[in-house]
Amino acid sequence: MGQLEAAEQIKESIKRAGINLVASLPDEKMVELIKSIGRDASLKHLPLCREEEGVGICAGAYLTGMKCALLMQNAGFLNSCNALTTTSLQFEIPLLMLIYYAGDIGDRGFATVGSVTEPALRGLGIRTYILRRVEEADAIIGGAQTLAEDSKRPVAVLLTKTALGVA
Amino acid sequence: MMRRYDFLKAIAGDARNALAVAAGGAAREWQALKPGDGCFRSRTLGLASSIALGISIGLPRRKVMVIDGDGAFLMNLCGLPTIAWHSAGNLIHLLFDNECYEASGGTETATSSVADAVALAKGAGYKNACWVKNPREFREEFRKAWRRNELSLIAAKVKPGQPKVPPIRCDELENKYRFIRHIEKTEKKSILGSADHAARKYGKRPTVV
Repeated sequence: MGQLEAAEQIKESIKRAGINLVASLPDEKMVELIKSIGRDASLKHLPLCREEEGVGICAGAYLTGMKCALLMQNAGFLNSCNALTTTSLQFEIPLLMLIYYAGDIGDRGFATVGSVTEPALRGLGIRTYILRRVEEADAIIGGAQTLAEDSKRPVAVLLTKTALGVA
Repeated sequence: MMRRYDFLKAIAGDARNALAVAAGGAAREWQALKPGDGCFRSRTLGLASSIALGISIGLPRRKVMVIDGDGAFLMNLCGLPTIAWHSAGNLIHLLFDNECYEASGGTETATSSVADAVALAKGAGYKNACWVKNPREFREEFRKAWRRNELSLIAAKVKPGQPKVPPIRCDELENKYRFIRHIEKTEKKSILGSADHAARKYGKRPTVV
C-alpha cells in the first residue's frame, strides 16, 4: 500500500476513534498523514513549534470536552516528558500519542532515539502499542483512545514505516 | 514598584466570567480575588499559556486568560508563535515580570538584564502587546483587550512577594474535576458524560433506588 492510501486510512481511524483535535510536529515519514489531517474539515489541526506545548494545548482542550491526539516523532516525545509527567499524568488527562517510530528495526540513522523510545515510555508508565500494519489502524488507534479515556492517562501508538506505507 | 496582587486586584471585577490558567502564587492570589472553580492551576513551568490556548480553542466564545510569570514565559517561548498562529482572539495573556525565579529561590531570569517580554511576544506574532506601569493602566489595557477580542499580551514589571492569601485547598485532581464541572455548568454542556460503564455498554439508564 502506498503512502497516500495509508495516510488516508490512518486519518480515518483517528476520526473513528472520536478525535477532533490533532496537534502535530512533522516527521518526513508522516508528511502525507499530516497533510491529510490538515485537509479534513472535521479535524482541528494545530501545527506546533515544539511537542511539549502540544501536551498543554491538548490538556486545555480536553478540559472543554475535545478529544485530542498529539502526532509527533519519538524525538518529540522525548521533548515532552516533563509536561507528560506533571500535566497529563499528574492531572490524569487522557491523551492519544501518535508517535513515529524512528530508529525502529530496519530504519537507518536514528538508532539511538529508537533505542530509548520504548524504555522511556515504560519509565513514564505509558501503555504503548505498535502499529505495523495499516489494516490494524482501526483496532489499535480506536482501542488506544478508549484506553486513554478509560484510564485517564496518555496512551502511545508507535507508527512504523510499514504502517505508513513508506518503503 | 508594586506587586502582582495589586495589578490582579485592579481587574478582578472586569474579568467577569473569564476562565483563568495560572501557576503557584498567581493561582493562589487569583483564587483569593475570584473565589470559585474558574481557575486551572498549571504544575508544569511554562505550560500555563499552552493550556490556556487549548481551553480558548475549545471555547471560542468564552474569555480565557493566562496569568504568566517571566520564568514560565521564557521556558515556553516556542509556545508564543503557536498561540499567535492559532488563537481565536479570546485569549488574554497577562505577564508579571519580577525578573526572577521567585518560586525557585529568587535567582534572576534573563528579563533582569537583556530580554524584553513584550518584544518577544511581538516578534512571535502577537498583534497587541504592551507594557503597563501601574494597576490603573493595567485595567485600561485589560478592558481594551476584552473589547477588541484579539490576542493581547499585557505585561507589567512587578516586585516579588505576595500578600497573605489563603492556600490552595484542591489537589490536581480536584482542581481538574471542579474546573470541568464549572465549564459544564456555565456553558451548559456535558463534558465528562456518564461514568456508568454498564449503562454505556448496554445502553441502559442507571436504576434510581
